[in-house]
Amino acid sequence: MSFITRAIKPATRLAARRFYASEAASSGKLIVNFALPHESVLKNHEVSQVDLSAVSGDLGILADHVPTIEQLKPGVIDLISESGSQKYFVSGGFAIMNPNSVLNINAIEAFKIEDIDAQAVATNLAESQRLASSAKDEITKEAAAIEVELYEALQAALSGKAK
Amino acid sequence: MSFAWRTAGMNYLQYSSIAARALRRVVKADLQTEIAKREGVAIKFAKWDNGKAGALNNVPLIETRPKAEN
Repeated sequence: MSFITRAIKPATRLAARRFYASEAASSGKLIVNFALPHESVLKNHEVSQVDLSAVSGDLGILADHVPTIEQLKPGVIDLISESGSQKYFVSGGFAIMNPNSVLNINAIEAFKIEDIDAQAVATNLAESQRLASSAKDEITKEAAAIEVELYEALQAALSGKAK
Repeated sequence: MSFAWRTAGMNYLQYSSIAARALRRVVKADLQTEIAKREGVAIKFAKWDNGKAGALNNVPLIETRPKAEN
């Protein structure tokens, strides 16, 4: 008898789990709230996918993504919906994926890729690189290194768009 | 996970302010007047001890450009 119950138990547990997953998958769309300290960029915005670059790696988020909190790197947030894709460049922040397919993105600064001046990126990158190698104190060096990282990510994003 | 800026003695507020300022610099000229309004935002902090506020201090922003440019 105990042999039979042991054989049945895993099967029932599996069935229960399957039921739960199929129920969760039925919600469909991904809802994005995108906020800056001075502006609410998007509120209850429906998309099919969001691509973002986190400190732990680049992510593509779909509906029903596992709940997570990610620290954002300076990089592109690509909001993909049926009507196309909307690209923002953020200076850094956090993305919080909730269990109910709601994604909250908080950033300090965000601009559409087309609002960025490529010429200014090139000159500021050169200036920050110069400072990163020539600054006398460690903290200024590190500040310049942060800027270099941001400008390089920005250049990559701009050249990716031109392709 | 350890970050180079953290080991240099910076905190996240300073890190994110530097990145935000760097991004604001390279936005196209027609948007710059709007952006200039949020430049120079600072955070002050005070250490509380026995129910009394200590001295008010700024979280210093690390300069990377000559003053006139910022």
